[in-house]
Amino acid sequence: MHGSFGTPYNIMNNNCKWIGWIVAAGLACGTALALEPGDAAPEFTLTDTAGKEVSLADYQGKIVVLEWLNYGCPFVKKHYDSGNLPSLQKRYTAKDVVWLSINSSAEGKQGYMPGQELAEASEKRGNKATAILLDTDGKVGKAYGARTTPHMYVIGKDGRLAYMGALDDKPTTDQSDLGEATNYVAAAVDALMAGGGVEVTKVKPYGCGVKY
Amino acid sequence: MVRWFSMAAGVVFPCMAEVRSTHASAELLQSSKGYQAGSPVEVALRLSIDEGWHTYWVNPGEAGMPLSVEWTLPDGWVAGPLLHPAPERFTTGGLSGFGYSGEVVIPVFLTAAPEASGEVGIRAEVRWLTCSDASCVAGEAVLEASWVEGVVGPGKDADEIASALEMVPRPLKGAALHVEPLAERLRLELTLPGGLDPTGSRVFPVTAEVIDAAESIEFRADQGKWRAEVETGDYVSEPVEELELVITGGGIDKPLLVGWTAAQE
Repeated sequence: MHGSFGTPYNIMNNNCKWIGWIVAAGLACGTALALEPGDAAPEFTLTDTAGKEVSLADYQGKIVVLEWLNYGCPFVKKHYDSGNLPSLQKRYTAKDVVWLSINSSAEGKQGYMPGQELAEASEKRGNKATAILLDTDGKVGKAYGARTTPHMYVIGKDGRLAYMGALDDKPTTDQSDLGEATNYVAAAVDALMAGGGVEVTKVKPYGCGVKY
Repeated sequence: MVRWFSMAAGVVFPCMAEVRSTHASAELLQSSKGYQAGSPVEVALRLSIDEGWHTYWVNPGEAGMPLSVEWTLPDGWVAGPLLHPAPERFTTGGLSGFGYSGEVVIPVFLTAAPEASGEVGIRAEVRWLTCSDASCVAGEAVLEASWVEGVVGPGKDADEIASALEMVPRPLKGAALHVEPLAERLRLELTLPGGLDPTGSRVFPVTAEVIDAAESIEFRADQGKWRAEVETGDYVSEPVEELELVITGGGIDKPLLVGWTAAQE
């Protein structure tokens, strides 16, 4: 039985199949407190870059995408420099989907910017979200269990979590693999818009840790 | 087909030095300056990481990214896997990770083409991620190495590569892992030869996601076996079908690799 381990780590390649990271719908595994797909999305009220209050409740009955944001994180940079996230934001906000980018970096930590500066940085990077929100005390990030940037959540019209996890199946900082990436968020939103069920509801998030 | 060079004799390659990128420096080590057609040649990637920063193992843990290498080799040459040493565990911003700080040397066996001849060169495009408590920054370097045909005495890096190979976890005759998947838990049973004792050893899951990086794995003696019970990872698809562990330190003098697959049972 040890014959298969002739070369150290030779099994590893098989372990890297991303499919193994996908947890099928309805499979409950995790701590009791952690949010799971199907749970009601926690309510929140945050301020946008202009200081205006934005609540999840404002968008009742709509599909909402939450995107945890830190422009200093190489994984986030990949998706802005390539135009990948701006094009998703543009595509879905044009179809009445609400897209909220949330910055949970604490003051003094990487990625933190006051409202005006965050608005300018977002403009420069082509962020086309419905609103860009400041969660400087990290309460909303922690309520959702946001671990990384970019950690993504998709909330259905029923106010329940339809998807949580990675943006796609390429946890790298390399733009060249975007062409062959499977985008879990796009798949979830498309399925919800078509009135169907979301196939992949939870995938391990990748990226940099949120700088709470 | 990529054709990195099969060079005309007499062309001298630049002496390769460390390449610095963001928070680390990378260098390609060679055990010899000569190769023989059809035979392996050893190289190693050495990464010197700035203090306060770390890079990632093959299983990076809850965030991060493993180092990757894209090889450009002459026709018929083959590169083996990156032979990572056992990692260390760290926590940044509440997330558990596996990787390296300070310096890490990762050997790789290349095999010369059966019909290789003359002076040859290779290129390695290396990408890595370094993170500190405060931020993550990507790094990259293009490294080159060259060899002349024939037997040449050991190069200056031969000893360093040999030491690095000692640090690479390996399977051991008589060592075996058995996994019994339970509801949201895994029962691990380890068999070790020759009185080896994993008490106080560090145990790392090579297989991503089966066991959460935050979970600590401690084997305890139980009726002639070593047993541990852990929670199944949050992001694994059940039933669990395979698991590889690296066990090092404590009573394990050489880093050990043990593996289990459901299919073998």
